[in-house]
Amino acid sequence: MFEVARYEARRRLRGAVYLSIGLSLLAGMYIGTFPSIATDVDLDEFIEQMPEIFTELFNIATMNTIEGFLAAELYSIGWTLLLGLYVAYSAASLIAEDIDRDRMDILLSLPISRAQLLGEKFLALLVPIVVVNVFVPIVVYVGTAAVGYPIDPINLAMVHALSIPYLLACAGIGLVLSVLVDRATIAQRGSLVLLFGLFLFESLTVVAGYDWLGSIAPMRYFNPTGVLVESSYDLLGGAILMVGTAVLVVGSALYFRRRDVE
Amino acid sequence: MGVLEVRDLSKHYGDVRAVDGISFTVDAGEVFGFLGPNGAGKTTTIRTLLGFLRPTDGSGTVLGADCTDEPAMIEAKRSIGYLPANPAFEESATGREILDLHGSIKGESRRAELLELFDPPLDRRVREYSSGNKQKLGIIQAFMHDPELVVMDEPTSGLDPLMQQRFNGFVREERDRGTTVFFSSHVLSEVRRVCDRVAILRNGRLVTTERIESLLDRSGKYVHARIRGQVGADAFDDNVVHDLEQVVVDEEDGDDTGGGEGAGDDSVTVTEVRFTYTGDVNELLASLSSHQLLDLDVEEAPLEEVFMRFYGAESGPVAENGGGQDV
Repeated sequence: MFEVARYEARRRLRGAVYLSIGLSLLAGMYIGTFPSIATDVDLDEFIEQMPEIFTELFNIATMNTIEGFLAAELYSIGWTLLLGLYVAYSAASLIAEDIDRDRMDILLSLPISRAQLLGEKFLALLVPIVVVNVFVPIVVYVGTAAVGYPIDPINLAMVHALSIPYLLACAGIGLVLSVLVDRATIAQRGSLVLLFGLFLFESLTVVAGYDWLGSIAPMRYFNPTGVLVESSYDLLGGAILMVGTAVLVVGSALYFRRRDVE
Repeated sequence: MGVLEVRDLSKHYGDVRAVDGISFTVDAGEVFGFLGPNGAGKTTTIRTLLGFLRPTDGSGTVLGADCTDEPAMIEAKRSIGYLPANPAFEESATGREILDLHGSIKGESRRAELLELFDPPLDRRVREYSSGNKQKLGIIQAFMHDPELVVMDEPTSGLDPLMQQRFNGFVREERDRGTTVFFSSHVLSEVRRVCDRVAILRNGRLVTTERIESLLDRSGKYVHARIRGQVGADAFDDNVVHDLEQVVVDEEDGDDTGGGEGAGDDSVTVTEVRFTYTGDVNELLASLSSHQLLDLDVEEAPLEEVFMRFYGAESGPVAENGGGQDV
């Protein structure tokens, strides 16, 4: 049990470290510019001039505090969008790429079930997700303290903890495409388009007054601005994302079990 | 009960009948060749039997497990080795990492011994592997857990002749220690050296299942002779001669020093004869030696020829003739 998960996890470790370094650099860049912005410009005045879709997309409450600023810049873009796209893309590759490159035959000749193979591959995606969410908050905390605007460590820990179910749900969406489509590039691109589409759609439904429609998007249940600015933790949202992930993974496994592997 | 039993197995893709109602049994301890031209349905059959594809109709059991029953197949796969046609592995992994993964799941009691026979560069990434090295890695993973049954799809395609020979010897040794081997090929000469029995597949249908000797006896030689002078029309007419073609040509003798008008003097009459011969080779030589040969080629008839000769084209001229006689 878990041989495939261990193998895949080991192979993902290096990428996870690079990803953490990249996102730390991005975080450092935002943190580094904040002091000059905070003293020189009133960003909130500027933001009030922006159309509503803009503030909705990036979950902007305020830009004049380090929390509001990082929530809008680093977490809305870096986490909700970029990292979400990254894990969805990785998950979309899980099955489709092995089939596309004729590697699946040898994997399926192993004495393990298809569902187990899929489940263990999915589980290994926790490596980049967890590594990033342990590594980057440390950088953010130390960074914000260093520039003289220390962020609340509890809220910081919570935003990263709550991002894990969100990212798993994004991976679940990628996984569904991975079992539905044989061509890896189509699954991968499809997952990017789908996730970006959901990201836009969720905000649009709010602006248009059809909030309920946006509740199919995972972005609805992860609100970094709420956590960092208002200390409101959407634990129910996290639970919904975990259940959603489970449904997507189980559904993918059931379909993968039945289908022909060409 | 056979190690591998196939009953009326079909796999259709819409109107395309990739495999169409085939039945055969592979017994324990034999080396069974699954022969057929490219596109005959060999790979589809193998992949259906291993549970990668669902049969449209019919059934297959492997080591007693129904190929559509996943839990039973998982149990069976502990004792099955599989080498696909073009074994592919994760490009960024090293050979060692891949064998470690396989070993941790299915066992690796024979890994060290196999690495002495086939020696892919284990510490290099698969990306840098030649097709021969990938094939070696594939062979090792197929045999490393000491399986009872090994299924191989075109196993020698990526190997150089020396490695092919080593592989053939290896397969014979495997049979001697009791392993059942089932492998596909489109090259008769490759199969003849190692197989006990063969099944021949063509256009998704099983043409025949027989012992390799009887197939070879009937497969024949492809003869191409160039004979000086005219040859009587019935010179090679015999019931062991098939598809006889006889063409008389006038050829320039080479030293064209005479005038252009005297072409007749400088040319030679040559009879080109082509046929497939299924009789005794000594008799063939005896009948050829009564002629003055300019050139002679005798080679093993290609597999396609064997198919055409004994099993007919799809609509079967044999059947048509039979029908004609009845009337």
